Amino acid sequence: MLIQDNLLLTRSNPSGNGGIQFLYRVKDYGLTAISGPQEEISMIHWEVEVVKYQNPKTAEFEVCHTTELADKTLKFYSDKSLNEFLQKSFQYFEELDSLEKMLPEES
Amino acid sequence: MANVKGSSVCRTAVDEGKPADWVPGGEKQTVVDPMKMFHELPREMQFITGSEAARESMRRANIDIAIAYPITPQSESMQQAGYLYDEGYIKEYYRAEEEIGTFSAISGASRAGVRALTATSGPGLMRGMEAVSSWPGARTPIIMLNMCRVINTPLAIQPDNIEMSFLLNTGILLLHAENQQDFYDYPLAAIMASEQVDVTLPAVVSVDGFFCTHARGPVRITPEEYKLPPRDGWRSAVPAMDNENPPARISRDAPIQKSNFISYHMHASWQQEVFAAVERSAKYFDKYLGGLVEVINPDAEDFIIASGCAVSQAREAVRQEGEQGRIVGLVKVKTIRPFPTTSILNAVKNAKRILIPEFNQAGWLHKEVCSVLYGRCNAVIKDGPRVFGGMTMPTEMILEWLEEFRKETK
Repeated sequence: MLIQDNLLLTRSNPSGNGGIQFLYRVKDYGLTAISGPQEEISMIHWEVEVVKYQNPKTAEFEVCHTTELADKTLKFYSDKSLNEFLQKSFQYFEELDSLEKMLPEES
Repeated sequence: MANVKGSSVCRTAVDEGKPADWVPGGEKQTVVDPMKMFHELPREMQFITGSEAARESMRRANIDIAIAYPITPQSESMQQAGYLYDEGYIKEYYRAEEEIGTFSAISGASRAGVRALTATSGPGLMRGMEAVSSWPGARTPIIMLNMCRVINTPLAIQPDNIEMSFLLNTGILLLHAENQQDFYDYPLAAIMASEQVDVTLPAVVSVDGFFCTHARGPVRITPEEYKLPPRDGWRSAVPAMDNENPPARISRDAPIQKSNFISYHMHASWQQEVFAAVERSAKYFDKYLGGLVEVINPDAEDFIIASGCAVSQAREAVRQEGEQGRIVGLVKVKTIRPFPTTSILNAVKNAKRILIPEFNQAGWLHKEVCSVLYGRCNAVIKDGPRVFGGMTMPTEMILEWLEEFRKETK
């Protein structure tokens, strides 16, 4: 089972392909993890995207491939490996938020 | 060969290739009151597929015999049932020659008074429909797991629940699981409801194949050391066959089998009783499942009524509408037979618009809802979105239909 820290939302895969989506959020960034149906149990895996949230009050987001965490869709084949990545990413997002606040606001 | 220690069946440790002191898993479980199992026992969260959820349900169901013929996407669940047989949680299990044989054999087992389980998918159900449609009249409380898939041409093995429409008028109890959790809970509830004296009917728990059976989801399960009470074959609407004193009486009542005037009356009254028993099962499902429906936002003017996987997509649509400040209600229909007419009427009494998304071409849920709400509700009822043949139903599709519906019906 995936860790529950910073878990914003658990929902059925909104694409309608079956499976489940976990949405994590730390400040304005986060991760989505989708586990969909596979022909064999052993083939079931997580597809993970780094995302940037668009609204502080809603779960609207855009996929973000510009962070140092990932420039593409990531795949994890066990909960354990994904949980390790989640822990690291939460720390990264905290630091990223601090850094972004130090930047001058665009006029 | 010595009988297995403590076993009530004829399996021996030597037969099974087990150590001589092997005890079947089922013999190590403790029988628990069903209401305690459903509502009081502690639950552990597991992240498992629908097929694995079915396995854990079967493990706790005290099943005497399972018979099935493999078909996608059911095969995985019955493979899991094979593991349970090996571990001694299911007492007897075999693969029949095909579905007519499967459903005939399971009927015989149930008539003999034991708890019998089978499972199938789409075309397999269609192949065995002759036998299946005879189950209710024979008053056989069989439990069938039904992993829905396409049945019509062009051939596909994708999710589509049109096959459920073929079960609506058989006299079978019919539940529609939304997710892996339901596919764990519903079979246990269905077994207990179906075996009540004033019910004694077969029960089918349908689930949308692949989306649930072959995907993982969170499932809260009870400790495996507890199981349901065994079936008492003599505590039913009709007596079980006495297989120890042959010839067993195959027919329930000989005059029914004769083409004379009396048989027509008997058939009619027999069938009326079957469908009355379906209605009587409602009180059991109500307490086992905590209601025949689940209602979200009961005061809404816009409602979605759905069953199965369509509920999950509708839940997310309701959530996203809420983010935009619009309240949309949702009625999740848990039991298709008995159909929760009163619960639905109460839930949508203030509704102006009702949308019914479905994963089938026929729109059977829409027809069911229309038939019970006609003349009793002022809402406009719209059939859609409707996807089939394995098509997906993204949340956006429901949101677009809702937006369009509001424009059409002010």
